[in-house]
Amino acid sequence: MEKITIKINGKDIEALKDQSVLEVARENGIAIPALCSHPEIETQAGSCRVCLVEVSQNGRSRVVTSCNYPVRGGIEVRTDTDLVRRIRKGVVELLLSRTPDAPVIQKLARENGIEGSRFFVDEAEHYRNRCIACSLCTQVCEEVVGVSAISMLDRGRDKAPGTPYLKPSQACIGCGACAYACPTEAISMIDEGEVRKIWGREFKMLTCSVCGKPYIPEAQVEWIVKTTGKDRSFFDKCPDHR
Amino acid sequence: MDNRKLQSVKEFESYRTKIAESRKDEYPVIYVCGGTPCLAKGSRAVAHAFKKEIESQGLACKVELRHKVTGCQGFCSKGPVVSFGNDIVYLEVKPNHVPEIMEKTVKNAQVIDSLGYKDPQTKKRSASFEGIPFYSHQKGMILKGLREIDPLEIDDYIARGGYASLVRAFAMVPEEVIDLIAESGLRGRGGGGFPAGAKWKSCRAVDSEVRYVLCNGDEGDPGAFMDRSIMEGNPHAVIEGMIVGAWAVGAHHGYAYIRDEYPLAVKVMKKAVEDATAMGLLGRNILGTGFDFDIKITRGGGAFVCGESSALMRSIEGKVGEPRAKYIRSVEKGLYDLPTVLNNVETWTNVPLIVNNGAQWYRKTGTQGSPGTKVFSLAGKAVNTGLVEVPMGTTIRELVEKVGGGIRGGRKFKAVQTGGPSGGCIPESLADLPIDFDSLSKAGSMMGSGGIIVMDEATCMVDVAKYFISFLAEESCGKCSPCRDGLPRMKQILTDITEGRGKEGDIELLEELCEVLSYGALCGLGSSAPNPVLSTIKYFREEYEAHIRDKRCPAGVCRELVTFRIDADACTGCTLCAKQCPQACITGERKKAHVIDQSTCIKCGVCRDVCKFDAVRVE
Repeated sequence: MEKITIKINGKDIEALKDQSVLEVARENGIAIPALCSHPEIETQAGSCRVCLVEVSQNGRSRVVTSCNYPVRGGIEVRTDTDLVRRIRKGVVELLLSRTPDAPVIQKLARENGIEGSRFFVDEAEHYRNRCIACSLCTQVCEEVVGVSAISMLDRGRDKAPGTPYLKPSQACIGCGACAYACPTEAISMIDEGEVRKIWGREFKMLTCSVCGKPYIPEAQVEWIVKTTGKDRSFFDKCPDHR
Repeated sequence: MDNRKLQSVKEFESYRTKIAESRKDEYPVIYVCGGTPCLAKGSRAVAHAFKKEIESQGLACKVELRHKVTGCQGFCSKGPVVSFGNDIVYLEVKPNHVPEIMEKTVKNAQVIDSLGYKDPQTKKRSASFEGIPFYSHQKGMILKGLREIDPLEIDDYIARGGYASLVRAFAMVPEEVIDLIAESGLRGRGGGGFPAGAKWKSCRAVDSEVRYVLCNGDEGDPGAFMDRSIMEGNPHAVIEGMIVGAWAVGAHHGYAYIRDEYPLAVKVMKKAVEDATAMGLLGRNILGTGFDFDIKITRGGGAFVCGESSALMRSIEGKVGEPRAKYIRSVEKGLYDLPTVLNNVETWTNVPLIVNNGAQWYRKTGTQGSPGTKVFSLAGKAVNTGLVEVPMGTTIRELVEKVGGGIRGGRKFKAVQTGGPSGGCIPESLADLPIDFDSLSKAGSMMGSGGIIVMDEATCMVDVAKYFISFLAEESCGKCSPCRDGLPRMKQILTDITEGRGKEGDIELLEELCEVLSYGALCGLGSSAPNPVLSTIKYFREEYEAHIRDKRCPAGVCRELVTFRIDADACTGCTLCAKQCPQACITGERKKAHVIDQSTCIKCGVCRDVCKFDAVRVE
């Protein structure tokens, strides 16, 4: 990998070509708020637009998403210009009006000096609960888990993740990676005894032979055995007792 | 079919000479326009009448109902259009005109002026393309082919010089072709106006075994039908341009992405690709040069966003048509992440013209920064509407007043909206602005793909902004938050303003949201979406203020804010409004002033529209 030097907020910083601005900033202790980026995802969708920064090169400056902007030698990044702050604040206010109940959005709003959304909040919208339609869940399901049980459905304001035709999906293994990845905790996953409820399905959980705690859906074990060839007996014990 | 395959450039040239020879003594052709508007106005019956008349008189004359084979003769508002070669054109032709046309024009070469165009000012009639302002102020570089060529007959295209640019291009090295296109100054007709030569050059410069050449035929703007008409009317010109482009950038596979709402365009383009392949103009070893290039037709599913380049590419790949961040450009990583050149239908159609006639010839038309012509679909309140082509740099006023014949009903010209839903409104005061890529962007609008909507004084600009923002909110793909969540908020504020709930600060809030979209949205559709709002605030702020402060709609459009009254002095008591009122709330004696009962009036505006004495006032 080619080593390059870039500037972030006036400071010279070493980076590798094609790393994202966000990655370089975080490695160097420079905070940029972001919701939908995830290190395990190959191509960051850049849909939440919270991680905006200003990048200038050859005298030209533009606002870009830091999560998927590839660094090049000689670029200058500013994470705190007036313009960036204004646009980020606007984006967060829009997210707040969409998901007023999501704690992470409320926190972002406070950090950006927003006291409450000035926009009309439609009660009917609350069915979406806390989802900001960033598609991270579906990316994780496809790229990390590899089952593609959920995808983004519909378009515009109705866009939301879901199983095909909103029917229980046979492809889902109940692993819950979508729920763990979700930045706004919008995906409902309920573990009750030996049953996990997610995406309209119930999954039987396997219990640990040592502590007796249900810890993994059987469907997930089958999937791992099938795709990795790992021995089934490996899952007799939970990670704490292996 | 293989026996038609032409093996070399020489064979192609002699084939052309042969068909051109055989067509010398052809009988006259009567072109009956079969574009959608003409069909709606009864052109099928007109064509049928011609056929019957020819059969009964035993004449050797060929009638082509152009809808079977092509689109548009352009003058949609005066259809059905019937034309004879390059000279004579009859408008609003009815089946009962046919015997007279046969007798006078076909048999005796006489022109029937009464079937021509009546100038609204001079009342003079003319039936020649030259004598009709709608046609005479146009320059038909692109549209000429649509009016003359049978799109289902590849021979017809070849006989008129089609595919000649391939011979020229193959005689050049690819870099020379790119230089030629760069010199011509051709800019992308899809909206952005990016220089085509520069795009091709960067694509060729990328080190890759595979490159793609794509045609964007996903014309999604409401009221735009330029690309559809070209694909339906002259498909081989599009294909020819793509082959030249493929040769120049070194691509061997191409796709034409056509929206499925254009079934005729899909059909015609498919046949054209098949015919060109059968003749050896597409496929393996084109004309024996060793160059391979094929084109596949992909049908779009109807999402507006798929007209955006990166969404279009995902859609061709079979994925959900969503835009991606374009920090790495499509010429480097486009279709299947390989170097790709995407140009729109009209851009490709310009390419053969440039290769055949040279860059200097091309630059003679248009302006320094935007050479060539531009095809527009002229719609709205102009007298004459339809598909038009004018040199770049023509002023808005020339387009509206000369080609468009001014505003209908003697009303005042207020503004034009250019560039589709994410374009902007330009006021009459700036109508002397030349239409080219740069002037329009500077004025806060854009060229877009070429929709022009003419607006008169009875158009409310807040209502216009609301209409376009509603369209965009509906069509937002929903991937990024500013566009997905910002547009519905803007729509809500605009709705409040037009329904009398506007409050101080709304304009500023709209401007704030516009900035968030301009800078924050992921793709070009999102970042240009504020244009309708920003341009109307910029040029018509007082209209917004009247709605918000005085709860008044100056143009008399926003129902919640207007009252319809009959001016007793102007009313002649003709009773027309009373007869037409759907609520039957207009009363009055014949020949005496009428009155509207405000308690039941639904403010539909029918009374104002039908009144011949301008007696219905909107307050």
